[in-house]
Amino acid sequence: MRDADLTSKDVARLAATTDLMEREWAPCRYGCPVHADVRGYLEAIAEGRWREAIDIIRDRLPFASVCGRICHHPCEVNCRRTDVDQPVAIREVKRFVAEWQGAGGSTVHKAAVQDKARIAIVGAGPSGLSAALELAKRGYRPTVFEKFPVAGGIPATAIPTYRLPRDVLRIDTDWILAHGVELRTGLEIGKDKSLDDLRQEGFAAIILATGLSTSRLLPMPGADHPRVLPALRFLTDVVFGRPVDLGQDVLVVGGGNVAVDAARTALRLGAARVRMMFLESLDEMPAYKWEQDEALEEGITFTPRRGPTEVLMKGGRIVGVKARGVTRVFDENKRFDPRYDDADVITLDCDTVILAIGQAADMGFLRGGSLWTDARGRVPWTPATQQTSLPWVFACGEIVTPPGSVVEACASGRRVAEAVDLFLSGREIGLDDTLPPHIDKMTAGVGEKVVKAPREAVAAEPPHERKTSFTPVDRNLSAEAAAREARRCMSCGAGAEVLVDKCAACLTCLRVCPFEIPKVTDVARIDSVLCQSCGICIAECPANAIIARGWNPKSLPARAGATLAALPAGGKTLAYIGGYRAMPADWRGESEAVPGVAEVYLPSVARLSVMDLLAPFERGAERVLVVACPDGADRYPRTAQRLRRRVDQARQLLAEAGLGADRLGLLEVADQGRPAIREALAAAHQVAIR
Amino acid sequence: MTEAVSHLQKALAAGRFVVTGEIGPPKGTNLGPVIHEAEHYLKGRVVAVNVTDIQTAVMRAGSLVGCKLLLDHGIEPVFQMVTRDRNRLALQSDLLSAYILGVRNVLALTGDHVAMGDHPEAKPVYDLDSVGLLQAIARLESGSDLGRDPKGNPNQLDGVPKFFKGCCVTPCAEEVEPQIIKLEKKAAAGAQFVQTQAVYDPAAFEKFMKRIAHIKIPVLVGIVVLKSAGMAKYMNRSVPGVQVPDAIIKELAAAPKENLKKVAAEIAGRLVREMKGMCQGAHLMTLGWDDVVPDILQSAGLAP
Amino acid sequence: MIVAERKPLDQILEALAPARRILVLGCGSCVTVCLTGGEKQADELAAQLRLAARQKGLDLTAEVDCITRQCDREFAQNLKADPSTYDAVLSMACGVGVGFMSELFPQVPVLPGLNTTFYGANVASGVWAEYCHGCGDCVLAWTGGICPIARCSKSLINGTCGGTNKGKCEVSKDMDCGWLLIYNRLKTLGRLEELKKLRAPRDWRKDRGAGVRRLTHQELVKLEEEAKA
Repeated sequence: MRDADLTSKDVARLAATTDLMEREWAPCRYGCPVHADVRGYLEAIAEGRWREAIDIIRDRLPFASVCGRICHHPCEVNCRRTDVDQPVAIREVKRFVAEWQGAGGSTVHKAAVQDKARIAIVGAGPSGLSAALELAKRGYRPTVFEKFPVAGGIPATAIPTYRLPRDVLRIDTDWILAHGVELRTGLEIGKDKSLDDLRQEGFAAIILATGLSTSRLLPMPGADHPRVLPALRFLTDVVFGRPVDLGQDVLVVGGGNVAVDAARTALRLGAARVRMMFLESLDEMPAYKWEQDEALEEGITFTPRRGPTEVLMKGGRIVGVKARGVTRVFDENKRFDPRYDDADVITLDCDTVILAIGQAADMGFLRGGSLWTDARGRVPWTPATQQTSLPWVFACGEIVTPPGSVVEACASGRRVAEAVDLFLSGREIGLDDTLPPHIDKMTAGVGEKVVKAPREAVAAEPPHERKTSFTPVDRNLSAEAAAREARRCMSCGAGAEVLVDKCAACLTCLRVCPFEIPKVTDVARIDSVLCQSCGICIAECPANAIIARGWNPKSLPARAGATLAALPAGGKTLAYIGGYRAMPADWRGESEAVPGVAEVYLPSVARLSVMDLLAPFERGAERVLVVACPDGADRYPRTAQRLRRRVDQARQLLAEAGLGADRLGLLEVADQGRPAIREALAAAHQVAIR
Repeated sequence: MTEAVSHLQKALAAGRFVVTGEIGPPKGTNLGPVIHEAEHYLKGRVVAVNVTDIQTAVMRAGSLVGCKLLLDHGIEPVFQMVTRDRNRLALQSDLLSAYILGVRNVLALTGDHVAMGDHPEAKPVYDLDSVGLLQAIARLESGSDLGRDPKGNPNQLDGVPKFFKGCCVTPCAEEVEPQIIKLEKKAAAGAQFVQTQAVYDPAAFEKFMKRIAHIKIPVLVGIVVLKSAGMAKYMNRSVPGVQVPDAIIKELAAAPKENLKKVAAEIAGRLVREMKGMCQGAHLMTLGWDDVVPDILQSAGLAP
Repeated sequence: MIVAERKPLDQILEALAPARRILVLGCGSCVTVCLTGGEKQADELAAQLRLAARQKGLDLTAEVDCITRQCDREFAQNLKADPSTYDAVLSMACGVGVGFMSELFPQVPVLPGLNTTFYGANVASGVWAEYCHGCGDCVLAWTGGICPIARCSKSLINGTCGGTNKGKCEVSKDMDCGWLLIYNRLKTLGRLEELKKLRAPRDWRKDRGAGVRRLTHQELVKLEEEAKA
C-alpha cells in the first residue's frame, strides 16, 4: 500500500511530480507481464497523441501490434473500471494505435554506436526478438538465427491469419529489426551450425529462444495414421500454403488455444463438422474465453471430460475415436494428474483427428554442441540469472519458462538481455525483480459515484460469414472510438496527493470532493486507491498543498502562454476547452481554429483554478473563454457548478483590477461537438474585438 | 413604606390610574417648541412626562436638559437614560447631576444600537445594561457608587440621591419568557415601576399581566399613537414586539385625511379604556402629536 | 479561529504606492482556513496587482511567498524570498502577522492585505460567524456555551433587550439574537436558573479596559532567563 506522507521538500527533490507515479502502480500496469505504463498510453490516446502513445507502449512492449490482436490482457482483467461498469478495452485501444501508426510511426531508439560484443540468438520468436531489441539498444550486435523463412515465431508460423494478419506482425518485426538487429532466416542451429560453431565465430554469448515448436503426441492405437495431424504442423502447413490432408468430419483433441486455432482453421478449410474433445470440464477449458465463444458461434461443438484411447479404423480410413470418461484433471495441488473412468467409454465419429494436447520443445538445436540436457531432458537453467550450465549460454521464453503468451515472452526476453549485458560487462548477474506496490480495489461507495460510460463495442463479422474465410474476425476501433474508450480510464494512481507540511486542515478538499475521498485528522490525506484524478481539490486548496501525481497543476499558464504566443498579434483570446467529449482531431489541433483564438484542451475543466483563469491575461490574452460541459454532461460530478463559482470569483478579481468582468466568458457547449464549439468561440471572440 | 420622592410615585402608591406622556428633544438647541407643547397639552393632564434620551440612536439634545426645562415649567419629568452612549462613570455622574437639578423619576433603558440611528460609525458603549444601571442607581441611593477608593473600600457620597426607578418591558414579544425573566431581574435590582413597549392587543396584554402578577410593581401600558395606516404597517414589519391588529389598520386606512388625528386619538383612547382595568396606568407616546392627548384622555374616560 | 477578509484592491494599491517591487506574503494558518490569505489567495492577489498595474500604467512587480505562520519567529526562516530586497511586503496574514513581520523586518514597510475581523467558527460552507470576543473573562459556563459579549450586538449580560425581532437582532435580520440563543440553549440544558441570576456590572479590565494584553507562562520565562544567565 501507500508509503509515507509527502512534503513539499520531497517534491522539490523530484525531477517531476510524475516521478511519484513510480511509488505505486495502477493494477493494470502491475498485472502486465512487461509492466507497460498503461495509464500513460491511455492518456496519450485519449488526447489524440498517437505517436506518444505507441512510443510509451513500445518502451516496454516490442510486440505492440501483435499483442493488440492476441494478448490475453491481464491489464483488462485487473482494470478497476470493472467495479464501475466495464473494464477499459485496453487491448482494442492498443490495437488501434499500433496499427494506425504502423512500423514507421514508432520512434526507433537506435543506439548511436553499436560496437559492443556480438550475440547469437537462436529463434526469432517473441522472446528472442525482444532480447535482440534490448541488446541492440544497448549497443550490442545481435544476430538472430531462425530456421523458418520468416521472423516472429509462433505468431508467424502457427497463429491463424484470421486472428493475426501477417502485415500486423510485420509492423513489430520491422520495427525491431530497424534497431540494428541482424536476422538470418532459413538457418537451423543444430543442423546448419552448432552452438559451438557460433562460439567459434566470435559470438560472446548465446541466447536460446527456441520456444515450443512441436506438438506433443499421444501414443495410442491408430495414432500413426496420416490423418492424425499434430496441431502445430497442421497450422504451420496452412500458414505456408502447403497442402493438408483434411477430411470432412474433424475431431480436435485438446481444449487450449492451439486446439481452438486448429478447430477454427479446419472449419475454414471446408470441414463440414468440427468438434473439440478435451479432458477438462467446460469451466476448466484452458482456451481464452473469447476464443471459446467465437468457436461456438461458428458452429464448433465441445465435448468435455473425455480422453481418447484409440483411433478406430475401417478399410484404412479413420471412422472414429474411442474416448473414456475423465473423473478429474488436476489434483489437490492443481497439478496435471488426470484420472479416468474406463467403464465409461463412448465413440465419436470422425474422419480426421488433430492432436492439440500441448506443445513441446524441439531440442535439435543442441546437436553438435557441448551443451547437454539435464536428467529430465530439459535445458539446464538458472531462473535468477537465466544462464544454462554453460555461463555464456543463456535461455529465455518457453524453452525454459512455463508455457505462456507473447507478452510473457517479451518480458522473458527483456530480462535475459539485462542478464547478458551484466555478464558481458564483467558484473555479477543480479536482477532486481521487485515491483512497487499496486493500488488496491476500489470501494463500492466511490465506484457508484463515478459517471458511467459504456465500453466501446468492437464490430465482429457475423459467424456464418467469417467461418468461410481467413479474413480477420473483427474490426479495429475508429480513432474517435479509441479516444472515447481511452477516456474511460480512471487514471488510477495519477490523482491528488497532499503535501502535509503545507496543509492547514482547512477541510476544503474534504468538502469539494465529489467522491468524498479526503480524510482530515491532523492534516488531509487522500487515498490513492480511490482518487479519480478530477483535480477539483487541487484547484480549490487555499494552501496550494495538493499536487497531482499524473500531471503538473502549475503547467497550464505556461501552456496557455505558448499557445497565445503562436497567434499573430492583436486581440487575442485564450480558450480553455474541456475535451472529454471532443474528437482526437481537436486535441491534436487539426480542427479548424478560430482566428485570434488560442485553444488549450484539457481532460476536464474540473482542474481549472482561479489562477489559471487570471494567468492568460498576463501572457498576452485580452479575453479568456472557458468551454465547459453543462450540468450532468461532464466527466466528473458537480464540475459545472464548481467551475461557475470559480469563473464568478475570477470575474470579481478582474473587475477589481480594472479589467472588467466581461473579459472572462463561460460557454457551456463542450458536449455539442466541434462545429458548435467553434461557432460559440467565434461569436464570443467577435464580441470582444468589436 | 418609604416616603414617595415624586408625584408619579405618590399617584401610583395611591392606586390611581396614572397617565404619563413623553417628549423628545430636538436635533439642535431649539428646545422651546417641545416645552411649549408639553405646557399646552400635557401639563395638568398627565402626572409626569418622559424625556427621551437620544432615542433610536439619533443624536439630539440631552434628556437631562429637557427634564430641567420641564421642571422650570412646573411639569414633573421622567429622566430616560440609555446605557448605549455612556459608561458607568458618566451614567452615575449624570444621575447625581439630575438629582441636583431636581429630577426624581428615572427610566433605565438599554437603548437601541447605534446601527439603527444616524451615527452608525459611533462606538457603542453598553458598559452597563439596564439591569446594571438599576443596580448603579440603587448603589448611589445607598450612599456609595460602583467604584472603590485607593484602599479598595467602597466610596462614600457627599450628598445621597433618591429616585423613583423605572424600567421597560415588551409584553407582546414573540418570546415572552425571556422578557419576564429579565423583568424579574430588574425588579430585584430595584425597579419600582414599569412602562411597557406599545401594546395594541388587550387580550395578549391581559395574558401577560397574569404571568407577571408575582412581580409586584406598577405597570403603565405603553401606547404609541398611530398616525396612519402606513405607520401601523411599518411598526408591524420593523418594530419588534409590536403587533397592530388588522382591524385598527383598516380603521386608519378608512379615515379621511382631515379626520386622521381624531381617529388616531379615538383608537388610542379606546385601547387605554380597554386595558385600564388590567394595569396601573398608561404611558402615551404621541411622537409630536401632543395635541391629541386631551382627546385620548376623553376617549379613555379619564378626562379630569 | 481568526477570520479576516481581503481589503479592496484600490485600498491596497493606495497603501502600496509608491513601492514598485512587492512581495505578497501568504500565511498558512487561520487565513488559509478561511480562504482569504493562503498561498493560493496570495497568488491571485499578486496576479491582480500586476494586471491592475498594467491597466493603470504603474511600474509594479509582485512576487509571492508563503510561510506556515507569520506570528512566530522561526517560520520566517523558511522564507524563500528575502523581504529586505523588496520595496514593500504585502502580508496576507491577520493583523498579528502583519505586526509581527514588520517587527522582524523593520526596514521594509509591511502592509496589510486583509482586514482582520473576528474570532469565528465555520458555520456553513463559505460562512464564518463571530463566536468569541476575546474578552479575557469567559462566561460561557453560564450561558450554555454561547458568548453574550460576541454574539449579542450590545454585549449585554442580563438577557435580551427589547429589540429582538423574529429571533433576530434589531441591527440586522441576518444576525441571530444572541440572548435568545442563550435562552433556548439553557432551556435545552435544563439550566434556565442561570439566566435568572442577577449579573453585576461586568469588569471590563481584561477586555482592554486595563490596556494592551499579554499572556505569560512564567515557567518558560524563567527557563529563558536561566539559560541566558
